[in-house]
Amino acid sequence: MDKEWQTFVRRFDDLKEGEVELFVKDLTPGSKKYNTRHVRATVAKAKGALPEAELLWIRSESGITALEPWYIRILEELPEWVPGKPWENVLDITEKVKKRKSKVR
Amino acid sequence: MAFKDHRDFFEVLEKNGELTRIAQEVDWDLEVGAIGRKVYETGGPCLLFEKIKDYPKGFRISNGTTGTWSRVGLAMGLRRNASVREIYKTYEEKLSQKIPPRIVKKEDAPCKENIMIGDNVDLYKFPSPMIHEGDGGRYIGTWDVVVCKDPETGWTNWGMYRFMVHTKDWLTGWPQSTSQLAMIFKERYLPKNQPMPVAIVLGTDPVSHIIATAPIGIQESEVDYVGGIRGAPVELVACETIDLLVPAHAEIVIEGELMPDKIAPDGPFGEYPGYRSGTMCEGVAVKVKAISYRSHPIVTMIALGIPPDDASIAASLTAAVSMKKGLLRRGVPVTEVYVPPEGVTHLIIVGVKKGGMEVARNVLDYFTARRVMTSKHIVVDEDVDVFNMAEVLHAFATKCHPGRGIAYEWYEGRANSLTPFYSPAERKKLKGVSVVFDSTWPPEWPKDIVPIKASFRTIYSQEVQERVIKNWEKYGLK
Repeated sequence: MDKEWQTFVRRFDDLKEGEVELFVKDLTPGSKKYNTRHVRATVAKAKGALPEAELLWIRSESGITALEPWYIRILEELPEWVPGKPWENVLDITEKVKKRKSKVR
Repeated sequence: MAFKDHRDFFEVLEKNGELTRIAQEVDWDLEVGAIGRKVYETGGPCLLFEKIKDYPKGFRISNGTTGTWSRVGLAMGLRRNASVREIYKTYEEKLSQKIPPRIVKKEDAPCKENIMIGDNVDLYKFPSPMIHEGDGGRYIGTWDVVVCKDPETGWTNWGMYRFMVHTKDWLTGWPQSTSQLAMIFKERYLPKNQPMPVAIVLGTDPVSHIIATAPIGIQESEVDYVGGIRGAPVELVACETIDLLVPAHAEIVIEGELMPDKIAPDGPFGEYPGYRSGTMCEGVAVKVKAISYRSHPIVTMIALGIPPDDASIAASLTAAVSMKKGLLRRGVPVTEVYVPPEGVTHLIIVGVKKGGMEVARNVLDYFTARRVMTSKHIVVDEDVDVFNMAEVLHAFATKCHPGRGIAYEWYEGRANSLTPFYSPAERKKLKGVSVVFDSTWPPEWPKDIVPIKASFRTIYSQEVQERVIKNWEKYGLK
């Protein structure tokens, strides 16, 4: 069975296909289920677009799951956190960091 | 009797038929949460899950330690069936005395039976529950006591905030940005870009958890009030890696540092107003430095949701008494304040000796002056029993003038972002609105135009009442 992951977005439309930085939760059963990893990854809506991809379930900020899963291929492990001050919006910062890195490349 | 911890309190709960031990294996992943939630919604007992899937025997989860008024009464040393009014009165009286804590040695502290430090820290050793389907993660901190300290004045603050397992040695959480913890952090640590030591304490004596929900004043330490209510000092012990004192009889103590420059996702989570609404990815991150715990530890869970549960009951008690004191200081002629658990601290009932819009506006001003956790306030005359919601509803329905008996006020930067009816934009700005419903007779009305309440006690003469009561059984009535 494919390995499964889960991530949260404010709105389902917020997630875009391609290379992203995101926090994902490992859905492998056992005592460490839901462990978080912060990763750079490629995500896609269709499995065909991403060979050897794993399943990625998307949940919104109210906790509901998108009907169809996405697919993810993890490229790089990142630190458990993003730089930012308490009570700042983690998702906004993740997006800004990604844009900054894109410019550097 | 002063309870030292959850365990001696559970013995009393068991003797009173208020505890059910569940020996059958249950899954920490949603099953314990669903059982706990259903039990709250049927007014059932405190639960102790004794065998948790994926975990060795002895690692346990509880739910609903003081999730009913009966159990709060027992925690306060009252009889099981003490009335809500009696519990309020006892709490208010005992709150007037403070007893400072007593520091004990490490060897006398049960919470030091097992210790993990540094690289050995592993939050996954504990059966943290995934409480609701769709939560952002496994919340180890729900019925907790979160300890932090003002390094300049030495003031130790206790609060109750949610904390989620992020990784084996990181927690994320959501103490509100308007909380006292946030105030200490923003004033003392953030300007210096320093991490703030915090301890997340699970499963200490029941009164400590109740008081952690209380709006105790700035520079006042909750632990002194816990001592006063218990009638005995709380025993504290030093943490292993940070400069904080924590309850020595706790089940689990998580020591860490709230980081000033690192964040990670928290939430969403099914919260105390009874909804999972917003509040995601805008919290804090804590690097865990050590965990000390008793053998056979209990993760103290509350499967939060629609009332009543431990949070709505505890806040009903602690918030109401604090509000009464505050309103009296403001000169409002308060008789009693009731925070119905069903209103999840959004709805407040204020009884007054003399009503009218001037008094009602004063009530509204009090509730909106600083951070605002409430939104609807009903002011009633003193002949209305504030603890009797049927009487309150009757007064509201019949005495509140829709045109001149209602006042409201908008504010920004200090609203409760967990309030379900706020839009996402309002939550982000902490923009809110509060309303007061004056359900009293206008004081300027002459007595002869004030409608007479048509109740047995108010519309019949004393002579008729006495005759009816005397002959009650003769009528064939019981």
